Amino acid sequence: MEDQLEQSITDEEMDILQEVMNIAFGSAAADLAEVIDIYVVLSVPTIKVMKTLDLPEYIRSAVKEYDRLSIVEQNFMAKFKGLAILIFPSGIGRALIAMLDKDSESTLESDPVEALERETLLEVGNILVGACVSKVAELLGDAVIYAPPRVIVEDLAQDSISRDLFDPDKLAVTMQTVFHFDGEDMSGLLFLICSNESIGWLRQALHEFLKQFE
Amino acid sequence: MMFEQLVDMLNIGIVVLDSSLNVCHWNRWMALHSGIAAEEIVGGNILAFFPNLNTAKFRRSCRAVLAFGNLSFFSQKLHRYLFPFRPVSSYGVRFDYMQQSCTMGQLRDENNVIKYLYITVQDVTELVAYEQRLIEKNVKDSLTETYNRRFLEECLSREFEKVKRYSRPLSLIMLDIDFFKHVNDMYGHQCGDFILKSIAAKTASVIRKVDILARYGGEEFCCLLPEAALNEALEIAERIRTTIAKAPFIFHDIRVPVTVSLGVSEMRDDVHSAEVLLKLADEALYEAKRGGRNKVASLQY
Repeated sequence: MEDQLEQSITDEEMDILQEVMNIAFGSAAADLAEVIDIYVVLSVPTIKVMKTLDLPEYIRSAVKEYDRLSIVEQNFMAKFKGLAILIFPSGIGRALIAMLDKDSESTLESDPVEALERETLLEVGNILVGACVSKVAELLGDAVIYAPPRVIVEDLAQDSISRDLFDPDKLAVTMQTVFHFDGEDMSGLLFLICSNESIGWLRQALHEFLKQFE
Repeated sequence: MMFEQLVDMLNIGIVVLDSSLNVCHWNRWMALHSGIAAEEIVGGNILAFFPNLNTAKFRRSCRAVLAFGNLSFFSQKLHRYLFPFRPVSSYGVRFDYMQQSCTMGQLRDENNVIKYLYITVQDVTELVAYEQRLIEKNVKDSLTETYNRRFLEECLSREFEKVKRYSRPLSLIMLDIDFFKHVNDMYGHQCGDFILKSIAAKTASVIRKVDILARYGGEEFCCLLPEAALNEALEIAERIRTTIAKAPFIFHDIRVPVTVSLGVSEMRDDVHSAEVLLKLADEALYEAKRGGRNKVASLQY
């Protein structure tokens, strides 16, 4: 199986993907700041190919420092198809509400804070995923559409990331980044998981991307 | 052509805006519920027609959709509605405006560039009304319209935690109808139900808005009084007692004399759990009964 994994994406393709991600995330961060006044620093993404079965363990090891966490997931579909997973430490919701509502006349005072936090996680997740995925897709000549984001884990201990959350036995290209809201003490993790079905397209698109510079 | 017809026939509102938020399409559903015809609004700015949309969240969503092509949501739970339309169904009597669940997304031109955004508007008033009814049924006693015991216990444990943390006052009144079995035996169960309802209503009319009145058992009620110390709770209990003792309860032209006994307890350092607070009120209630009924008692004077 290990051999199969390695064959699925070559080292050269990994390098191109790394480059694409660097450009995409850079421009996503710039757009987030310019378009919606959200200043976010995205770390250089780490790219790995693995079986989806191994994802929970991989994610768990990445979020070791979070005691409790919330997870938002969002499917995106087009030629570039897969799943985006955002992992926030618990309690970030309130801080995000403050960040987003800085300039707004809140009409939501009567709402329970829990519902508001949840909605805010969804909104921030939606925007971050939208910005990052759309930039990757754009560079690779694709235009994606999105399913509604969902909160799949809310304020749970990190061992709650279970295998049930993912479709097993599939191959995934994971792109992991740490995002940090500039000026605020808030960060989280973003995983983009490219599904098995679109790996063929991804490889082709990566070569197409490289051709521009040849 | 076929799709345009379809868009106009769907039982859902569809609006298309350009990047300056001018209306490009306004389907028949939107015209029907807004009273604004498509000819009137197409070409105009949506914020001019609906100033309530001019919020940070709405503007941010539009910008994000146009820049990143993501989906944006305006859930009924948080937003109630985007477009202030009159509710249409009879369920709408509970609401000033139609409850809506809305989404916003990208529309691309032939060159795959995002040029427009769409908004869909779904009327969820009926669903929300059902949901509210279910919630009500879940927390209320069907006969007396007061809260049920489970809800009271939830509130009690929540209030108890709050009080422990912030050392605020909290009191509890336990109320029992005197000789209720006698009422049932003498005047029948229908009369008994009438008395239960009347006592609940009379009690509710003299407590504060923040107090939580619940039917605790057969003829037993419990009232949770947040932010009330013992003396205040005793005053409220006495008010309940006199109101009921003085009230004429007339069932089928027969005057039924009814009194209640009340036990009051207060949160103190030695009250370690919500159960102890309940037990103290219950014991005080029996003290009031032993003292001859139609009385208010506390063990914590």
